[in-house]
Amino acid sequence: MAAEIHIPTLAPEAIFHIGNLNITNTMINAWIAIVIFLILGIFIKRSISLKPGKLQNASEFFLDTLLGYFDQVTGDRKKTIRFLPIVGAIFFFILLSNWLGLLPGTGSITVGHNMLLRPANTDLNLTLAMALVSVIGSHLYAFATIGVFTHLGKFVQIKNVFKSFKKGPIAVLTAIIEFGVGLIEIVSEVAKVISLSLRLFGNIFAGEVLISVISALVAALVPTPFMLLEVLVGVIQAAVFAMLTLVYMTVATSAPHGDEEEAHH
Amino acid sequence: MANVEHTTETPVVTPVNMEETHAEVVEHGATADAGLAASLGINAQLFVFQLINFTVVAVILWFLVLKPLTKTLAERKKMIDESIDNAKEIETNLALSEKEYQDKLKEAKGEANKVIEHAHTEAKQLGEDMKVKAKTEVEGIVAQAKKSIQSEKVQMMEEIRQESATLIVTALEKILNEKMDGNIDKKIIEDSLKNLKK
Repeated sequence: MAAEIHIPTLAPEAIFHIGNLNITNTMINAWIAIVIFLILGIFIKRSISLKPGKLQNASEFFLDTLLGYFDQVTGDRKKTIRFLPIVGAIFFFILLSNWLGLLPGTGSITVGHNMLLRPANTDLNLTLAMALVSVIGSHLYAFATIGVFTHLGKFVQIKNVFKSFKKGPIAVLTAIIEFGVGLIEIVSEVAKVISLSLRLFGNIFAGEVLISVISALVAALVPTPFMLLEVLVGVIQAAVFAMLTLVYMTVATSAPHGDEEEAHH
Repeated sequence: MANVEHTTETPVVTPVNMEETHAEVVEHGATADAGLAASLGINAQLFVFQLINFTVVAVILWFLVLKPLTKTLAERKKMIDESIDNAKEIETNLALSEKEYQDKLKEAKGEANKVIEHAHTEAKQLGEDMKVKAKTEVEGIVAQAKKSIQSEKVQMMEEIRQESATLIVTALEKILNEKMDGNIDKKIIEDSLKNLKK
Protein backbone atom coordinates (compact mmCIF):
# COMPACT_ATOMS: atom_id res chain seq x y z
CA MET A 1 0.00 0.00 0.00
CA ALA A 2 2.70 2.46 1.10
CA ALA A 3 4.82 1.57 -1.92
CA GLU A 4 2.04 2.88 -4.21
CA ILE A 5 2.08 6.32 -2.64
CA HIS A 6 3.96 8.71 -4.89
CA ILE A 7 5.28 11.65 -2.92
CA PRO A 8 6.08 14.59 -5.22
CA THR A 9 9.68 15.74 -5.17
CA LEU A 10 10.63 19.26 -4.08
CA ALA A 11 12.13 19.99 -7.47
CA PRO A 12 10.04 19.98 -10.63
CA GLU A 13 10.65 17.09 -13.01
CA ALA A 14 11.89 17.60 -16.56
CA ILE A 15 9.35 16.13 -18.98
CA PHE A 16 11.20 16.75 -22.23
CA HIS A 17 14.07 18.76 -23.62
CA ILE A 18 14.30 21.36 -26.37
CA GLY A 19 18.00 21.38 -27.18
CA ASN A 20 19.68 22.04 -23.86
CA LEU A 21 16.53 23.50 -22.34
CA ASN A 22 14.62 21.43 -19.81
CA ILE A 23 10.85 21.70 -19.94
CA THR A 24 9.39 20.84 -16.55
CA ASN A 25 5.87 19.78 -15.56
CA THR A 26 5.34 23.01 -13.57
CA MET A 27 6.25 25.00 -16.64
CA ILE A 28 3.60 23.18 -18.68
CA ASN A 29 1.07 24.15 -16.01
CA ALA A 30 2.22 27.77 -16.23
CA TRP A 31 1.86 27.66 -20.02
CA ILE A 32 -1.68 26.33 -19.70
CA ALA A 33 -2.43 29.31 -17.44
CA ILE A 34 -0.86 31.63 -20.03
CA VAL A 35 -3.01 30.14 -22.80
CA ILE A 36 -6.16 30.51 -20.68
CA PHE A 37 -5.30 34.14 -19.89
CA LEU A 38 -4.55 34.78 -23.57
CA ILE A 39 -7.88 33.34 -24.75
CA LEU A 40 -9.79 35.14 -22.00
CA GLY A 41 -7.89 38.35 -22.71
CA ILE A 42 -8.63 38.20 -26.45
CA PHE A 43 -12.34 37.63 -25.77
CA ILE A 44 -12.47 40.49 -23.25
CA LYS A 45 -10.45 42.87 -25.42
CA ARG A 46 -12.65 42.16 -28.47
CA SER A 47 -15.97 42.52 -26.70
CA ILE A 48 -15.13 45.38 -24.39
CA SER A 49 -17.62 48.24 -24.41
CA LEU A 50 -19.30 50.69 -22.04
CA LYS A 51 -22.40 48.50 -22.17
CA PRO A 52 -20.89 45.24 -20.91
CA GLY A 53 -21.72 41.69 -21.99
CA LYS A 54 -21.83 38.70 -19.65
CA LEU A 55 -18.10 37.98 -19.73
CA GLN A 56 -17.14 41.61 -19.29
CA ASN A 57 -19.73 42.01 -16.56
CA ALA A 58 -18.34 39.05 -14.60
CA SER A 59 -14.74 40.21 -15.14
CA GLU A 60 -15.62 43.74 -14.04
CA PHE A 61 -17.35 42.37 -10.95
CA PHE A 62 -14.25 40.39 -9.90
CA LEU A 63 -11.89 43.23 -10.74
CA ASP A 64 -13.97 45.85 -8.97
CA THR A 65 -14.26 43.67 -5.86
CA LEU A 66 -10.50 43.11 -5.92
CA LEU A 67 -9.80 46.81 -6.44
CA GLY A 68 -11.97 47.55 -3.41
CA TYR A 69 -9.73 45.33 -1.25
CA PHE A 70 -6.58 46.80 -2.79
CA ASP A 71 -7.88 50.31 -2.10
CA GLN A 72 -8.09 49.45 1.61
CA VAL A 73 -4.31 48.87 1.56
CA THR A 74 -3.22 51.74 -0.68
CA GLY A 75 -5.95 54.15 0.45
CA ASP A 76 -6.13 55.58 -3.04
CA ARG A 77 -7.60 54.18 -6.29
CA LYS A 78 -4.92 55.92 -8.38
CA LYS A 79 -2.16 54.15 -6.45
CA THR A 80 -4.01 50.85 -6.77
CA ILE A 81 -4.24 51.25 -10.55
CA ARG A 82 -0.55 52.16 -10.64
CA PHE A 83 0.44 48.95 -8.83
CA LEU A 84 -2.15 46.82 -10.63
CA PRO A 85 0.08 45.60 -13.52
CA ILE A 86 2.25 43.65 -11.05
CA VAL A 87 -0.18 43.01 -8.19
CA GLY A 88 -3.05 42.00 -10.48
CA ALA A 89 -0.82 39.67 -12.48
CA ILE A 90 0.48 38.08 -9.27
CA PHE A 91 -3.01 37.55 -7.85
CA PHE A 92 -4.66 36.13 -10.95
CA PHE A 93 -1.67 34.00 -11.98
CA ILE A 94 -1.26 32.44 -8.54
CA LEU A 95 -5.01 31.88 -8.27
CA LEU A 96 -5.37 30.23 -11.66
CA SER A 97 -2.19 28.17 -11.25
CA ASN A 98 -3.33 26.92 -7.86
CA TRP A 99 -6.78 26.00 -9.14
CA LEU A 100 -5.37 24.38 -12.27
CA GLY A 101 -3.38 22.12 -9.96
CA LEU A 102 -6.64 20.73 -8.59
CA LEU A 103 -7.99 19.68 -12.00
CA PRO A 104 -8.15 15.96 -12.78
CA GLY A 105 -5.03 14.87 -14.60
CA THR A 106 -2.67 16.95 -12.50
CA GLY A 107 -0.45 14.45 -10.76
CA SER A 108 -2.19 11.45 -12.28
CA ILE A 109 -1.07 11.63 -15.93
CA THR A 110 2.51 10.50 -16.10
CA VAL A 111 5.25 10.60 -18.71
CA GLY A 112 7.65 7.81 -17.87
CA HIS A 113 7.99 8.02 -14.11
CA ASN A 114 7.24 11.73 -13.94
CA MET A 115 3.96 13.59 -13.62
CA LEU A 116 2.99 15.49 -16.79
CA LEU A 117 1.29 18.29 -14.83
CA ARG A 118 2.13 19.78 -11.46
CA PRO A 119 0.77 22.96 -9.85
CA ALA A 120 3.02 25.77 -11.10
CA ASN A 121 3.56 27.13 -7.60
CA THR A 122 5.15 23.89 -6.39
CA ASP A 123 8.16 25.16 -8.34
CA LEU A 124 10.29 27.37 -6.11
CA ASN A 125 11.79 28.96 -9.23
CA LEU A 126 8.41 30.47 -10.09
CA THR A 127 7.57 31.64 -6.57
CA LEU A 128 11.07 33.07 -6.23
CA ALA A 129 10.73 34.86 -9.57
CA MET A 130 7.41 36.39 -8.49
CA ALA A 131 8.81 37.35 -5.07
CA LEU A 132 11.78 39.06 -6.72
CA VAL A 133 9.47 40.89 -9.13
CA SER A 134 7.37 41.94 -6.13
CA VAL A 135 10.25 43.27 -4.02
CA ILE A 136 12.34 44.72 -6.87
CA GLY A 137 9.15 46.22 -8.33
CA SER A 138 8.38 47.93 -5.02
CA HIS A 139 11.85 49.52 -5.03
CA LEU A 140 11.49 50.64 -8.65
CA TYR A 141 8.13 52.22 -7.86
CA ALA A 142 9.76 53.90 -4.85
CA PHE A 143 12.60 55.29 -7.00
CA ALA A 144 10.04 56.69 -9.44
CA THR A 145 7.79 58.12 -6.71
CA ILE A 146 10.00 59.52 -3.95
CA GLY A 147 13.35 59.62 -5.72
CA VAL A 148 16.37 57.32 -5.73
CA PHE A 149 18.32 59.03 -2.94
CA THR A 150 15.32 59.51 -0.66
CA HIS A 151 14.47 55.83 -0.96
CA LEU A 152 18.04 54.66 -0.49
CA GLY A 153 18.22 57.00 2.50
CA LYS A 154 15.66 54.80 4.24
CA PHE A 155 18.25 52.00 4.35
CA VAL A 156 21.50 53.94 4.71
CA GLN A 157 20.59 56.64 7.20
CA ILE A 158 24.02 58.27 7.34
CA LYS A 159 22.58 61.76 6.82
CA ASN A 160 20.89 61.66 10.22
CA VAL A 161 24.14 60.65 11.90
CA PHE A 162 25.89 63.77 10.59
CA LYS A 163 22.95 65.97 11.49
CA SER A 164 22.78 64.54 15.03
CA PHE A 165 26.27 65.82 15.97
CA LYS A 166 24.81 69.30 16.28
CA LYS A 167 21.94 68.13 18.50
CA GLY A 168 23.76 66.39 21.32
CA PRO A 169 24.74 62.90 22.51
CA ILE A 170 21.19 61.48 22.76
CA ALA A 171 20.49 62.48 19.19
CA VAL A 172 23.78 60.85 18.12
CA LEU A 173 22.78 57.64 19.89
CA THR A 174 19.34 57.71 18.25
CA ALA A 175 20.92 58.33 14.84
CA ILE A 176 23.32 55.44 15.29
CA ILE A 177 20.44 53.16 16.27
CA GLU A 178 18.46 54.36 13.21
CA PHE A 179 21.51 53.68 11.05
CA GLY A 180 21.62 50.14 12.42
CA VAL A 181 17.87 49.71 11.86
CA GLY A 182 18.39 50.88 8.27
CA LEU A 183 20.98 48.16 7.75
CA ILE A 184 18.63 45.59 9.27
CA GLU A 185 16.00 46.81 6.81
CA ILE A 186 18.30 45.69 4.00
CA VAL A 187 18.29 42.21 5.51
CA SER A 188 14.51 42.39 5.82
CA GLU A 189 14.26 43.06 2.08
CA VAL A 190 16.03 39.76 1.45
CA ALA A 191 13.79 38.14 4.04
CA LYS A 192 10.75 39.45 2.15
CA VAL A 193 11.84 37.58 -0.97
CA ILE A 194 12.53 34.39 0.96
CA SER A 195 9.32 34.52 3.01
CA LEU A 196 7.12 35.33 0.01
CA SER A 197 8.56 32.59 -2.16
CA LEU A 198 8.78 29.89 0.53
CA ARG A 199 5.30 30.62 1.95
CA LEU A 200 3.58 30.13 -1.38
CA PHE A 201 5.77 27.21 -2.38
CA GLY A 202 5.34 25.52 1.03
CA ASN A 203 1.57 25.88 1.11
CA ILE A 204 0.96 24.64 -2.40
CA PHE A 205 3.54 21.87 -2.16
CA ALA A 206 2.04 20.74 1.15
CA GLY A 207 -1.40 20.71 -0.43
CA GLU A 208 -0.10 18.66 -3.35
CA VAL A 209 1.54 16.15 -1.03
CA LEU A 210 -1.59 15.98 1.14
CA ILE A 211 -3.88 15.31 -1.81
CA SER A 212 -1.41 12.80 -3.29
CA VAL A 213 -1.26 10.85 -0.04
CA ILE A 214 -5.01 10.98 0.62
CA SER A 215 -5.80 10.03 -2.98
CA ALA A 216 -3.37 7.11 -2.76
CA LEU A 217 -4.98 5.88 0.47
CA VAL A 218 -8.65 6.32 -0.52
CA ALA A 219 -9.26 7.28 -4.12
CA ALA A 220 -12.92 8.31 -3.99
CA LEU A 221 -14.79 10.95 -1.96
CA VAL A 222 -12.27 11.22 0.91
CA PRO A 223 -9.93 13.60 -0.99
CA THR A 224 -12.90 15.89 -1.86
CA PRO A 225 -12.91 17.92 1.40
CA PHE A 226 -9.15 18.33 1.10
CA MET A 227 -9.52 19.50 -2.49
CA LEU A 228 -12.16 22.01 -1.39
CA LEU A 229 -9.72 23.12 1.29
CA GLU A 230 -7.07 23.53 -1.41
CA VAL A 231 -9.49 25.69 -3.43
CA LEU A 232 -9.65 27.95 -0.40
CA VAL A 233 -5.88 27.76 0.13
CA GLY A 234 -5.43 28.76 -3.52
CA VAL A 235 -7.44 31.94 -3.03
CA ILE A 236 -5.88 32.73 0.34
CA GLN A 237 -2.31 32.28 -0.89
CA ALA A 238 -3.01 34.40 -3.99
CA ALA A 239 -4.55 37.10 -1.79
CA VAL A 240 -1.71 36.96 0.75
CA PHE A 241 1.01 37.23 -1.91
CA ALA A 242 -0.82 40.05 -3.73
CA MET A 243 -1.67 41.95 -0.55
CA LEU A 244 1.88 41.69 0.80
CA THR A 245 3.23 42.93 -2.53
CA LEU A 246 0.77 45.79 -2.36
CA VAL A 247 1.85 46.60 1.21
CA TYR A 248 5.53 46.55 0.20
CA MET A 249 4.80 48.87 -2.71
CA THR A 250 2.64 51.22 -0.63
CA VAL A 251 5.23 51.42 2.15
CA ALA A 252 8.13 51.81 -0.29
CA THR A 253 6.42 54.66 -2.18
CA SER A 254 5.57 56.59 0.98
CA ALA A 255 7.97 59.33 2.03
CA PRO A 256 10.20 58.64 5.06
CA HIS A 257 8.91 59.97 8.42
CA GLY A 258 11.60 62.61 8.71
CA ASP A 259 10.73 64.03 5.28
CA GLU A 260 7.01 64.09 6.11
CA GLU A 261 7.66 65.98 9.33
CA GLU A 262 9.94 68.41 7.51
CA ALA A 263 7.31 68.88 4.83
CA HIS A 264 4.67 69.64 7.50
CA HIS A 265 6.95 72.22 9.14
CA MET B 1 24.67 25.50 -11.78
CA ALA B 2 23.23 22.05 -11.42
CA ASN B 3 20.85 20.91 -14.07
CA VAL B 4 17.32 19.60 -13.48
CA GLU B 5 18.34 15.98 -13.45
CA HIS B 6 20.48 16.71 -10.42
CA THR B 7 17.80 18.75 -8.70
CA THR B 8 15.41 15.84 -8.56
CA GLU B 9 17.75 14.03 -6.23
CA THR B 10 16.89 14.83 -2.63
CA PRO B 11 19.95 14.76 -0.36
CA VAL B 12 19.78 11.99 2.18
CA VAL B 13 20.80 12.80 5.73
CA THR B 14 22.55 9.83 7.26
CA PRO B 15 24.24 9.42 10.64
CA VAL B 16 27.52 9.51 8.78
CA ASN B 17 26.70 12.94 7.40
CA MET B 18 25.73 14.12 10.84
CA GLU B 19 29.07 13.11 12.22
CA GLU B 20 30.88 15.57 9.94
CA THR B 21 33.11 17.87 11.90
CA HIS B 22 32.58 21.61 12.02
CA ALA B 23 35.68 22.18 9.91
CA GLU B 24 34.37 19.91 7.20
CA VAL B 25 31.05 21.79 7.17
CA VAL B 26 32.82 25.12 6.74
CA GLU B 27 35.03 23.67 4.05
CA HIS B 28 32.10 22.36 2.11
CA GLY B 29 29.78 25.31 2.96
CA ALA B 30 29.43 26.58 -0.59
CA THR B 31 28.74 23.12 -1.92
CA ALA B 32 26.15 22.55 0.79
CA ASP B 33 24.35 25.80 -0.09
CA ALA B 34 24.32 24.82 -3.72
CA GLY B 35 23.08 21.38 -2.70
CA LEU B 36 20.26 22.90 -0.62
CA ALA B 37 19.21 25.18 -3.49
CA ALA B 38 19.37 22.22 -5.86
CA SER B 39 17.36 20.02 -3.51
CA LEU B 40 14.66 22.72 -3.42
CA GLY B 41 14.70 22.77 -7.19
CA ILE B 42 16.35 26.16 -7.61
CA ASN B 43 17.90 26.24 -11.03
CA ALA B 44 19.09 29.28 -12.97
CA GLN B 45 17.67 28.09 -16.27
CA LEU B 46 14.28 27.21 -14.77
CA PHE B 47 14.26 30.44 -12.79
CA VAL B 48 14.75 32.48 -15.97
CA PHE B 49 12.07 30.44 -17.74
CA GLN B 50 9.58 30.96 -14.93
CA LEU B 51 10.46 34.66 -14.77
CA ILE B 52 9.71 34.89 -18.50
CA ASN B 53 6.46 32.95 -17.94
CA PHE B 54 5.40 35.36 -15.24
CA THR B 55 6.37 38.37 -17.37
CA VAL B 56 4.29 37.00 -20.26
CA VAL B 57 1.33 36.50 -17.89
CA ALA B 58 1.74 40.03 -16.54
CA VAL B 59 1.89 41.51 -20.06
CA ILE B 60 -1.14 39.51 -21.27
CA LEU B 61 -3.15 40.29 -18.15
CA TRP B 62 -2.32 43.97 -18.19
CA PHE B 63 -2.78 44.70 -21.89
CA LEU B 64 -5.66 42.35 -22.65
CA VAL B 65 -7.60 42.22 -19.39
CA LEU B 66 -6.73 44.64 -16.61
CA LYS B 67 -5.97 47.79 -18.61
CA PRO B 68 -9.05 47.63 -20.88
CA LEU B 69 -11.29 46.77 -17.93
CA THR B 70 -9.95 49.50 -15.63
CA LYS B 71 -10.14 51.97 -18.52
CA THR B 72 -13.76 51.00 -19.20
CA LEU B 73 -14.59 51.18 -15.49
CA ALA B 74 -13.05 54.65 -15.29
CA GLU B 75 -14.84 55.78 -18.47
CA ARG B 76 -18.16 54.47 -17.17
CA LYS B 77 -17.57 56.15 -13.83
CA LYS B 78 -16.77 59.41 -15.62
CA MET B 79 -19.88 59.05 -17.77
CA ILE B 80 -22.06 58.33 -14.73
CA ASP B 81 -20.57 61.32 -12.87
CA GLU B 82 -21.17 63.54 -15.89
CA SER B 83 -24.71 62.19 -16.26
CA ILE B 84 -25.41 62.91 -12.59
CA ASP B 85 -23.97 66.42 -12.98
CA ASN B 86 -26.04 66.95 -16.13
CA ALA B 87 -29.13 65.63 -14.41
CA LYS B 88 -28.54 68.03 -11.51
CA GLU B 89 -28.02 70.89 -13.96
CA ILE B 90 -31.17 69.94 -15.86
CA GLU B 91 -33.06 69.72 -12.57
CA THR B 92 -31.80 73.17 -11.58
CA ASN B 93 -32.69 74.58 -14.99
CA LEU B 94 -36.09 72.93 -14.80
CA ALA B 95 -36.70 74.46 -11.37
CA LEU B 96 -35.60 77.85 -12.72
CA SER B 97 -37.83 77.46 -15.79
CA GLU B 98 -40.71 76.38 -13.58
CA LYS B 99 -40.17 79.46 -11.40
CA GLU B 100 -39.89 81.65 -14.48
CA TYR B 101 -43.03 80.06 -15.91
CA GLN B 102 -44.89 80.60 -12.66
CA ASP B 103 -43.70 84.23 -12.54
CA LYS B 104 -44.74 84.78 -16.15
CA LEU B 105 -48.06 83.09 -15.48
CA LYS B 106 -48.60 85.27 -12.44
CA GLU B 107 -47.65 88.34 -14.43
CA ALA B 108 -49.96 87.31 -17.28
CA LYS B 109 -52.77 86.68 -14.83
CA GLY B 110 -52.19 90.14 -13.31
CA GLU B 111 -52.20 91.72 -16.74
CA ALA B 112 -55.30 89.76 -17.76
CA ASN B 113 -57.05 90.90 -14.59
CA LYS B 114 -56.03 94.46 -15.33
CA VAL B 115 -57.34 94.15 -18.92
CA ILE B 116 -60.60 92.61 -17.69
CA GLU B 117 -60.96 95.31 -15.06
CA HIS B 118 -60.24 97.98 -17.64
CA ALA B 119 -62.74 96.38 -20.00
CA HIS B 120 -65.30 96.35 -17.20
CA THR B 121 -64.66 100.00 -16.47
CA GLU B 122 -64.79 100.91 -20.13
CA ALA B 123 -67.96 98.88 -20.66
CA LYS B 124 -69.55 100.53 -17.66
CA GLN B 125 -68.49 103.94 -18.86
CA LEU B 126 -69.71 103.15 -22.35
CA GLY B 127 -73.00 101.92 -20.92
CA GLU B 128 -73.36 105.09 -18.92
CA ASP B 129 -72.50 107.20 -21.95
CA MET B 130 -74.91 105.31 -24.12
CA LYS B 131 -77.58 105.59 -21.47
CA VAL B 132 -77.04 109.36 -21.28
CA LYS B 133 -76.96 109.61 -25.04
CA ALA B 134 -80.12 107.53 -25.38
CA LYS B 135 -81.81 109.64 -22.72
CA THR B 136 -80.76 112.80 -24.50
CA GLU B 137 -81.93 111.40 -27.80
CA VAL B 138 -85.19 110.29 -26.26
CA GLU B 139 -85.64 113.66 -24.69
CA GLY B 140 -84.83 115.28 -28.04
CA ILE B 141 -87.32 113.02 -29.77
CA VAL B 142 -89.95 113.76 -27.13
CA ALA B 143 -89.25 117.49 -27.36
CA GLN B 144 -89.37 117.25 -31.13
CA ALA B 145 -92.61 115.30 -30.87
CA LYS B 146 -94.03 117.83 -28.46
CA LYS B 147 -92.92 120.63 -30.69
CA SER B 148 -94.40 118.90 -33.68
CA ILE B 149 -97.64 118.27 -31.84
CA GLN B 150 -97.72 121.88 -30.73
CA SER B 151 -97.05 123.01 -34.25
CA GLU B 152 -99.71 120.73 -35.61
CA LYS B 153 -102.06 121.95 -32.92
CA VAL B 154 -101.40 125.55 -33.86
CA GLN B 155 -101.80 124.71 -37.49
CA MET B 156 -105.00 122.83 -36.72
CA MET B 157 -106.35 125.73 -34.71
CA GLU B 158 -105.51 128.02 -37.57
CA GLU B 159 -107.21 125.70 -39.96
CA ILE B 160 -110.20 125.48 -37.61
CA ARG B 161 -110.37 129.21 -37.42
CA GLN B 162 -110.17 129.50 -41.13
CA GLU B 163 -112.75 126.74 -41.49
CA SER B 164 -114.94 128.42 -38.94
CA ALA B 165 -114.63 131.72 -40.69
CA THR B 166 -115.39 130.08 -44.01
CA LEU B 167 -118.30 128.31 -42.38
CA ILE B 168 -119.48 131.51 -40.87
CA VAL B 169 -119.09 133.28 -44.14
CA THR B 170 -120.89 130.49 -45.89
CA ALA B 171 -123.53 130.45 -43.24
CA LEU B 172 -123.82 134.20 -43.47
CA GLU B 173 -124.10 133.99 -47.13
CA LYS B 174 -126.87 131.44 -46.80
CA ILE B 175 -128.59 133.52 -44.20
CA LEU B 176 -128.23 136.59 -46.17
CA ASN B 177 -129.78 134.89 -49.13
CA GLU B 178 -132.77 133.88 -46.99
CA LYS B 179 -135.31 136.21 -45.22
CA MET B 180 -133.62 137.38 -42.26
CA ASP B 181 -135.29 138.25 -38.97
CA GLY B 182 -134.10 138.77 -35.48
CA ASN B 183 -134.81 135.28 -34.33
CA ILE B 184 -133.18 133.57 -37.18
CA ASP B 185 -130.20 135.82 -36.89
CA LYS B 186 -129.95 135.01 -33.30
CA LYS B 187 -130.25 131.33 -33.93
CA ILE B 188 -127.64 131.35 -36.58
CA ILE B 189 -125.21 133.13 -34.37
CA GLU B 190 -125.85 130.67 -31.58
CA ASP B 191 -125.42 127.70 -33.87
CA SER B 192 -122.26 129.15 -35.16
CA LEU B 193 -120.98 129.69 -31.69
CA LYS B 194 -121.93 126.17 -30.79
CA ASN B 195 -119.99 124.87 -33.67
CA LEU B 196 -117.06 126.96 -32.67
CA LYS B 197 -117.15 125.52 -29.19
CA LYS B 198 -117.15 122.04 -30.58
